Amino acid sequence: MNPAERLFLSRYVSDPKRNLLRFSFLFMILGIVISVGILSAALNLFEGYERALRSVLLDSFAHIRVVSADVDPLSGAQASDVLNRLSKLPEVRSAVPVLSSSLLAQNGDKARSGMMQAYSWENGDENIFAKYVKKGSADLAPGKVILGHYLAQDLGLALGDTVTVSFPRLDLITPLGMYPNQRPLQVTGIYNSGFYEYDRSLLIGDLEDLRALTGVSSGFSSLELRLHNKFADSAPTLARKYNQILGREVYALPVINTSLLSLVRMQKWLIFIVFSFLVLIAGINVISGVLTLMLDKRAEIAVLKALGASSKSVRNILAWQVTLVCLISVILGQLFGLLISWGIANQNIYKLKGEVYFIDRLELYASPLNQVIIFVVASFLIWICIRAPLRRINRMRIIDLLRNP
Amino acid sequence: MICLAGYSLYKTYQDKGQDIRVLIDTNLEVQRGEFVCITGKSGCGKSTLLHILGLLDDPDSGRVVVNSAELSSRHASAHKIRNRDIGFIFQFHYLLEDLSALENVALPMLIAGEAKSKAFQEAGSLLKRLNLEDRANHYPNQLSGGEQQRIALARALINSPSIVLADEPTGNLDPQHSAEVWELMFRLNRDLEQTFVIVTHDRELARQSPKTYELKGGTLI
Repeated sequence: MNPAERLFLSRYVSDPKRNLLRFSFLFMILGIVISVGILSAALNLFEGYERALRSVLLDSFAHIRVVSADVDPLSGAQASDVLNRLSKLPEVRSAVPVLSSSLLAQNGDKARSGMMQAYSWENGDENIFAKYVKKGSADLAPGKVILGHYLAQDLGLALGDTVTVSFPRLDLITPLGMYPNQRPLQVTGIYNSGFYEYDRSLLIGDLEDLRALTGVSSGFSSLELRLHNKFADSAPTLARKYNQILGREVYALPVINTSLLSLVRMQKWLIFIVFSFLVLIAGINVISGVLTLMLDKRAEIAVLKALGASSKSVRNILAWQVTLVCLISVILGQLFGLLISWGIANQNIYKLKGEVYFIDRLELYASPLNQVIIFVVASFLIWICIRAPLRRINRMRIIDLLRNP
Repeated sequence: MICLAGYSLYKTYQDKGQDIRVLIDTNLEVQRGEFVCITGKSGCGKSTLLHILGLLDDPDSGRVVVNSAELSSRHASAHKIRNRDIGFIFQFHYLLEDLSALENVALPMLIAGEAKSKAFQEAGSLLKRLNLEDRANHYPNQLSGGEQQRIALARALINSPSIVLADEPTGNLDPQHSAEVWELMFRLNRDLEQTFVIVTHDRELARQSPKTYELKGGTLI
């Protein structure tokens, strides 16, 4: 940078009120603040959504499910064998045998279909559902059940109430028809994972209760493997690897929806690209601001050129003034975006439709990397809009500027 | 030694569809250390001639030679010549309002790429020589007309140019400030052998100049 350019830059920085606050910059500043604010808010909310969804998907669901290769349940021996082989692998966070079954949950005249799961915690594995039990206790015992909060709401159940679960036993067909096996269970916990499908249909119960209901006296529906989060995206590859380890009697299926996560990530960046065009539109105001500045400073441009400044140097002197204003506006826009996204994330007027978006709450996450990307992209687009009109300085003749200052 | 010359200069302006020929085969040679005044009626083309000689404008035809190099305002190195070899003083001081007097004076040196400390030191010395050191940190709007024009003179001198071109430098000043500025230019010419070419319509002041031309009918007499 030329010493003369440095002098002007230091003037702009040391006395911003005199040099940067110009009426002609007002609409330029507003345009940048609003467009960057919208871009930033959209990215913050999408980042929050992606992280919330990822967190729920990774924490609530099994990443890989090991099932019997035939239609029968996984036998106790098979489950032990799989546990022995896989639970020590470094990428495996937990491996738990689970019995699950569809059934009908009923409270008085209200009934909803649901999925009941019962885990065998004999290996001292962490209770992965505990952190999502927002009301009551995560401890299970015969006769007790934990419900998803939407299911509890639909059935009008609160802690301590009794829900009746019915399972259509195909092995108990009487002359009067199929006889369902019923059992009253006391609600001891309300589960809220934020994942809509789970919260509206899941019941977590005691293994012995579910065995009694379903008549499955031994064995399990599957063995659920949870991977450490950094391996979650590799679930399909790992499942193939486990199939080679486990032989032909059991089969490992990747159940985590990695393509959903990829889709959400792609959607986030598509939104970012689309909203970046807003910054480009704000750039039109920047072009207008720069042209106005060039008109205001015709005499200054003439004098600088007459004193021997090259066109490039004059361009830089003017560019620094607008650039500083724009950079401050971009930062203000990012702060404005944070404010908007905080407001949206904390409002109670609109809630996400869980059945559409999988989760029912908007979350804000201002990733530092995203903020840097917003700053760089917005600054680059605006820099182009500053530089383009300044090229006219090359064609400005000193004598014309002096005659018509 | 000739430091500035214009040969066979022609310049025509268009005004309301009519051609106004302001320079017709105009020739001028300025020796190093000379003090030259150019007078003439308003609109006769004095400022045009000075702008052409100062590489701020181009003639329709003819040659401008600065320190033995033939140049035009569009020449690739014209801005360097304007910075180092020519000092220009305008009728309206054209000091930059956002810069202090010291910074305005130092500006051509900074444009030349000199370090800020050296440029400010040199500017300070010049202001002291022109008895303006107590005005160094004032902004142009805090200075009187005479002070503004003396600051403009200091700015024109800071790079020790071989020639200073002044376009009606006292045209906007009252008689007292006008006399101060003229006296200063005479002194610099006398003491430092600084070359001056000054355009003025004030024949009284021009009469004090050792060499005076009149631009009449597009030609210097």
